[in-house]
Amino acid sequence: MRSILALVRKEFIQVFRDPVMLRLIFVSPIIQVFLLGYAVNFDVKLIPMALYDFDRSQLSRDLARSFSVGDYFVIESPRIPLQRIEDGFKQDRYRVALVIPEGFSERVRTGRPAEVGFWVDGTNANSAGIAIGYAGTIVQRFNERHLPTRIPIEMRQKILYNPEGRSVYFMVPGIVATLLTTITVMLTSMAIVREREVGTLEQIMVTPISKTALILGKTIPFAILGFLEISAALALGTAWFRIPFIGSKVLLYGLALIYLLTALGVGMLISTLCRTQQQAMFFGWFFTLFTILTSGFVTPIENMPSIVQHITLANPLRYFIKIVRGIMMKGAGVGDLYPEILAMVAFGIIIFTSASLTFSKRL
Amino acid sequence: MNAIEVHRLSKAYGPITAVSKFSLSVESGEIVALAGPDGAGKTSLFRSICNLIDFEEGEVRILGHDVRSEFDIIKPMLGYMPETFSLYPDLSVEENLKFFAGIFGVRRTDFEIRKKYLYEFSGLGAFARRRAQHLSGGMKQKLALCCNLIHQPKVLILDEPTKGVDPLSRRQFWEILKRLRDEGTAILAATPYMDELNHARRTAFMAGGRKLAEGTLQDLIASYTGSIFVLPALPKEEKIGLLAASKELKVQRVGASLRIHAPKAMSLDEIAKSLSDAGIESAGLRQVSPNLEDIFVELIAREGLESNA
Repeated sequence: MRSILALVRKEFIQVFRDPVMLRLIFVSPIIQVFLLGYAVNFDVKLIPMALYDFDRSQLSRDLARSFSVGDYFVIESPRIPLQRIEDGFKQDRYRVALVIPEGFSERVRTGRPAEVGFWVDGTNANSAGIAIGYAGTIVQRFNERHLPTRIPIEMRQKILYNPEGRSVYFMVPGIVATLLTTITVMLTSMAIVREREVGTLEQIMVTPISKTALILGKTIPFAILGFLEISAALALGTAWFRIPFIGSKVLLYGLALIYLLTALGVGMLISTLCRTQQQAMFFGWFFTLFTILTSGFVTPIENMPSIVQHITLANPLRYFIKIVRGIMMKGAGVGDLYPEILAMVAFGIIIFTSASLTFSKRL
Repeated sequence: MNAIEVHRLSKAYGPITAVSKFSLSVESGEIVALAGPDGAGKTSLFRSICNLIDFEEGEVRILGHDVRSEFDIIKPMLGYMPETFSLYPDLSVEENLKFFAGIFGVRRTDFEIRKKYLYEFSGLGAFARRRAQHLSGGMKQKLALCCNLIHQPKVLILDEPTKGVDPLSRRQFWEILKRLRDEGTAILAATPYMDELNHARRTAFMAGGRKLAEGTLQDLIASYTGSIFVLPALPKEEKIGLLAASKELKVQRVGASLRIHAPKAMSLDEIAKSLSDAGIESAGLRQVSPNLEDIFVELIAREGLESNA
């Protein structure tokens, strides 16, 4: 017990004495929350739209106006002839274009099918898809108003948990989970490898400290730092970005503790593979990048090819991100999250145990 | 019962033999030195003794306990200083001591007493708050030693503790070791410095993983088969060349004098004759007793001959 305390105390002295390390640990969560909170924005609004109205009728003006209702599209009259419509896309003057052909109102009035053209810049597939969705809805509403003979099926949407669809609500819980992964994996592996590099591990190995005490002494400090990190990220997210925290904080921290078994275990495994801190850094970076990309942090897992979707099942971060989002945004409880919790418990036990077994007290 | 008992220890890294059938013993209250060139296998031997690496053959007992099966019993009584400086450079002198006291399980009250004693003993007290990285080389080594003394070990294993340290600090370091010896500690220390072997009761010479010789300084000097002469003058270059070529003599310039090694016992007259054959004045020529370097060079040469045969 005394030996664990000695290790923990030493680790903290070292962290707090290293200005680079301190900045890395405490400034990086703040930057991440701000940067991702502001910069990563999937909300598509105020899309510049070119309008080519060759019909020039009351009806065509009506249709155009229905596009400008709400914040979705901003209509501009292009000075470029239709033949060179692509120039406007290339110059990024507009991202979508609505083309209403001559005779549009005539066809509608006489009950014949009418067509309008809708051009979309597909460079950003994500926002293109959203723009098409908006346009589809607008045209459908327009149909309902002007063709009352058909019986329309009206869909009333109710968006739960994030009714305004703000990206930051979705991002910050993800940041909490990825931060905990990065910090604990990196710091744990580097701290152990540093001891090996400097030679202090050789010195410690001949002391009466037990393997268990050594493992605990080298992991507890980074678990504590990890908790400090996520607390900072959560405080910033709720105070600055006003993200609602609906579920139980105690549950979130409890499950974070289970998740830490995995992250700390991975850090230890990396340290047994690496001889230098650079190697450990690279391994840690590769691991975190890979797990973050396949975790559903940014890209929804459902959008991935089915092979990749199967791979993500082996990614512990995937479950933890789902848990954090579930607790924070939906107020999910143990009953709602038990499959993820079970997966995380299994990962934690397997990874931490195998890391402890491979962690050798010899050179 | 010997404090350290190494019996026919062999350690190999794949096809490379690092230590070969090495035996050595150290009693309590005794300093035994291990001398040998870099790559002799000293560090591998020490790491095997301290159970840090596996070894293929042989047995090591510390205070009667087998290091492989009973290392947990040994640990609280053992202090080991690795070859590389292995303290925390960003921790102060006192923090390093406190850390080692913690992992050695030393009680707080015992630590305070022990700390005072070690500070007085090593002269580190004045630097208690200084970070280890800002200490001089000699002070660093003293601190490393003190960290290994915090739990009052009965056996100390030191891998080249004075390497790269200035002569004055080296002498102080050995004074500390002698004090520990007088308190009953068994000490096994490797050193690259021949002059330090005087501090040990016995010395083991190691090269190529093998023990070439072992004994007190007197034993080792007595075992020397050649003879050594000193001429207090430096003859002309071509004459020295002539001398070196004419006989099996090895000639070495030391300052303003010439040191002549003869492979076997030769009289002063025989050497004087060789000198005059080369046209060198033999005034002041005298025989000297071999120093440890001579002995070591001869041992390695003899070993080389044996391995060629």
